[in-house]
Amino acid sequence: MASNTIATMKEKNMQSVKTASQIGKVMAMILTYAFLIVMAIIVLFPFYWMINSSLKTLDEYRQSVPTFWPKVVMFSNYAEAFSAANLGRLFINTMIVGIISTILSLVITVITAFAFARLEFKGKNILFAGLLATMMIPGELFTITNYSTVTTFGWINTYTVLIVPFLVSVFYIYLLRQNFMQIPNELYLAAKVDGTSDLKYLWKVMIPLSLPTLISITILKMMGAWNSYIWPRLVANDDAHKLITNGLRSAFTETTGDVNYPVQMAAVALVSAPLFLVFVFLRKYIMKGVSRSGIKG
Amino acid sequence: MVESKKQWKAWLYLAPALVLLAIFTVWPIFNTVRMAFLENYSGLKAAGGETFAFGIGNFKKVLEYKKFVNCLKTTALLCVATVPISTLLALLISVALNSIKPLQRLLQTIFFLPYVTNSIAIGMVFAAMFNIVGSFHGTQNEIIATAGIVNNVIEFFGGTAVNWINSGSSYAANITVMIIYIVWNALPFKILILLGGLQSINKQYYDAAKVDGSTRSRILWRITVPLLSPMLAYVIITGFIGGFKEYTSIVGIFGATMGPPDDGGRLNTMVGFIYDALSTNSQGRASAAALILFGIILVVTLINLAVSKKNTHY
Amino acid sequence: MKVVLENLTKVFPNRTKGGEDVVAVNDFSFEIPDGKLVGLLGPSGCGKSTTLYMICGLQKPSGGKIFFGEDDVTDLPPEHRGVGLVFQNYALYPHMTVKQNILYPLQNLKGEDKLSKEEMLKRTVEVAKLVQIDNLLDRKPSELSGGQQQRVAIARALVKMPRVLLLDEPLSNLDARLRLQTREEIRRIQQETGITTIFVTHDQEEAMSISDMIVVMKLGVVQQIGKPQNVYDDPANLFVAKFLGTPPINVFEGEVRGGMLFIGEDPVMAVRNVPDQKVSVGIRPEGFILDERGPLHCHINGVEVMGRDVSIVATNEASLNPVVRSIISAENKVDTSSGTVRYSIKPHKLFLFHHETEERIPFEV
Repeated sequence: MASNTIATMKEKNMQSVKTASQIGKVMAMILTYAFLIVMAIIVLFPFYWMINSSLKTLDEYRQSVPTFWPKVVMFSNYAEAFSAANLGRLFINTMIVGIISTILSLVITVITAFAFARLEFKGKNILFAGLLATMMIPGELFTITNYSTVTTFGWINTYTVLIVPFLVSVFYIYLLRQNFMQIPNELYLAAKVDGTSDLKYLWKVMIPLSLPTLISITILKMMGAWNSYIWPRLVANDDAHKLITNGLRSAFTETTGDVNYPVQMAAVALVSAPLFLVFVFLRKYIMKGVSRSGIKG
Repeated sequence: MVESKKQWKAWLYLAPALVLLAIFTVWPIFNTVRMAFLENYSGLKAAGGETFAFGIGNFKKVLEYKKFVNCLKTTALLCVATVPISTLLALLISVALNSIKPLQRLLQTIFFLPYVTNSIAIGMVFAAMFNIVGSFHGTQNEIIATAGIVNNVIEFFGGTAVNWINSGSSYAANITVMIIYIVWNALPFKILILLGGLQSINKQYYDAAKVDGSTRSRILWRITVPLLSPMLAYVIITGFIGGFKEYTSIVGIFGATMGPPDDGGRLNTMVGFIYDALSTNSQGRASAAALILFGIILVVTLINLAVSKKNTHY
Repeated sequence: MKVVLENLTKVFPNRTKGGEDVVAVNDFSFEIPDGKLVGLLGPSGCGKSTTLYMICGLQKPSGGKIFFGEDDVTDLPPEHRGVGLVFQNYALYPHMTVKQNILYPLQNLKGEDKLSKEEMLKRTVEVAKLVQIDNLLDRKPSELSGGQQQRVAIARALVKMPRVLLLDEPLSNLDARLRLQTREEIRRIQQETGITTIFVTHDQEEAMSISDMIVVMKLGVVQQIGKPQNVYDDPANLFVAKFLGTPPINVFEGEVRGGMLFIGEDPVMAVRNVPDQKVSVGIRPEGFILDERGPLHCHINGVEVMGRDVSIVATNEASLNPVVRSIISAENKVDTSSGTVRYSIKPHKLFLFHHETEERIPFEV
């Protein structure tokens, strides 16, 4: 009888501990999700507001009580933005620069990384360490002299000035070299025994094996061209060579006051759209590349 | 024979990269230092055959220049405010993300989204969100009075609207907007790195902590954060480096004038100062400023490394 | 504190479509008496670790109940069960010193259980002395040897004075010499503290040497429970017989005809009360007697001298193992010249198992 009572008391005690810990768990889950969802909304809100605003009429945009979806959907804002900011020309300029510089950059990165990973030559390690050391220096330091250099070369307002100075990225060389180093050297020696040329080996073995890294580099390089602002504004500010970010900013110089925001937001949405497409389809490669690089674009 | 042939081939492969690096990376390092130490060096005047005396006048002038001190202040302020906020938020979001199963991938994708944006373009969206169309405290016959969605939200919760970025706005309001935008922009990279770090922590530490009866917050501060300290150190250091090079996000919101319409240049940063000096052909001063920036970044990084070495426990 | 497992079952649902669920532990009932050291033994994937994690509270049973003493702890979170767990790779917090590692569980105590700083420190030093690491308190785990880390892990599990101590493969990360030493250490600590202790291992020698009781498991099903010697001497089925003992038991195909057991054509031993049938015959290595007129003929391959004993390696066509290994005293002279060796068998070292079910068949000599 007595032991029975003790048992039930204990049972009760245990029961309360059980429920308490269960409630705690559920509460923690709810809080976690609530926090994440609120943060996600904050992160997404600017994108939503961009699209919402870009579809409104100017009058609706100016209303003191904001609407959360346009009453009249104005797709014409996009057409207006396209012509107002001369986006067509900017797109073409940016694509030309992006594609050419990506291709050339990949070629240079691959052969340089190959030399550092597979070939033996005097001073290899010192040279490589020297290259890595330059990564510590902020880019602005180079820009000052490079501006004079390209002026002397007579490259101002050409595609060349947008492409050539940034073809070599020490970081990409480093990334690809690490990748190449993981490929067993025996494969290379076997290819040599079979009489395969270096270039053929590079093309048939090393490049396929390091394709993910090359794709990451391609995407980051293209995004770099799309997002670059400072250098293009400095050296190629004419209509024939202006790049998209610079063009967008200079087409809408007014930032405050009574601006035609719907058209401006439409232009912003058009400029952002290709990035989103790349993101949707190639997220994996971007995330992989970014987590190793820590650089933007 | 084979050896020497190989040597020759290696240098052939390296040639394009080395030529470009020599012109656009190595030469600028020397030249920037040279220009910085030539009094009042100007590319234009140099082209005209003028010669310049050696000295540290450029550095002196830059440091005495009130504009430069303002740039330094703004840059440092943005760094000091945004790095801790974004790191803490990213930490909390990563830990929360790591603890859930349903919706994890979707939320992870959403949080990474700001990374693939154009900081000028989205800066313009932020400007639109903070902007007041028309004069807000307006005259009676004013019809247009969009306070901006941010002010709408503030008023919805019973606050008073703020003049964030328009004419007559305060420096504090401007900086607040910049902090919000920079934090928003900095989150994805930090979350990516921290979440990767969290996922590589051995689950047994958490099992052990559970058996030991740790509360959630104790697990976070006593176990997760120390185990994550190498990644935290990494995002903090890269955060500071990025912060000292802040420029385009301000251009995105305030335009190339780097400030509200009535006070252009108010929010100028170190990088902005360098480009301004460059565009007035004061290469000497620009070089000096760039070297100072490099020095600051170096010192801040070294301090960070020293601190993190002390606190990164294994 | 006795631990009672009642029809304990754990099913892991199969995520892939159409795949079958995995039954990790199937209907496990067992009462572990207070203050005993119990070894859960079995090959990998037998459900022994899952059982341990269920007792600990890190995994929820799909069915059945767990009692500590009279308390039903089945749904209780681990921190309220009063268990200490030592992980296979110790899971020592790498950023904390040994002292901080051991203190950590105490610092988590709340409410009426909360201890003063002095009390915590006192307990830490006490338990560190118990496991003999009191001179290492200010080191980091990375500065310790495997055996020392193991001791720290045990100290961390013990410092809360748990009702039950659980060890997951406690010796698997140690080298052979340390393993011997540490298992004695575990035995000593368990006896000094008197805490009911359950440990998991795949190493039968480890389990046999220190456990009061062992539980042999296979594919989620308990095969046999008992004192180590009893299980060894009286295995319930062929699996248990094969799993226990080094060198392992020799297994032959055999046949019972008219009360006589035949291995090949050799009439090995009379076995009464066994109906005629095909059987599997298990003979422990120490069950062979060198006998010139013995019934069992084997082809001799070689002799391995192990000091006190010698091991004769031979073959027999009916053997299910590649070789027949016997252990005999080194005092015996082994004549390898003839190429054949003959044995007679110690009856209590020979077991009969059903040809298909592999269950034990009792017989009388």
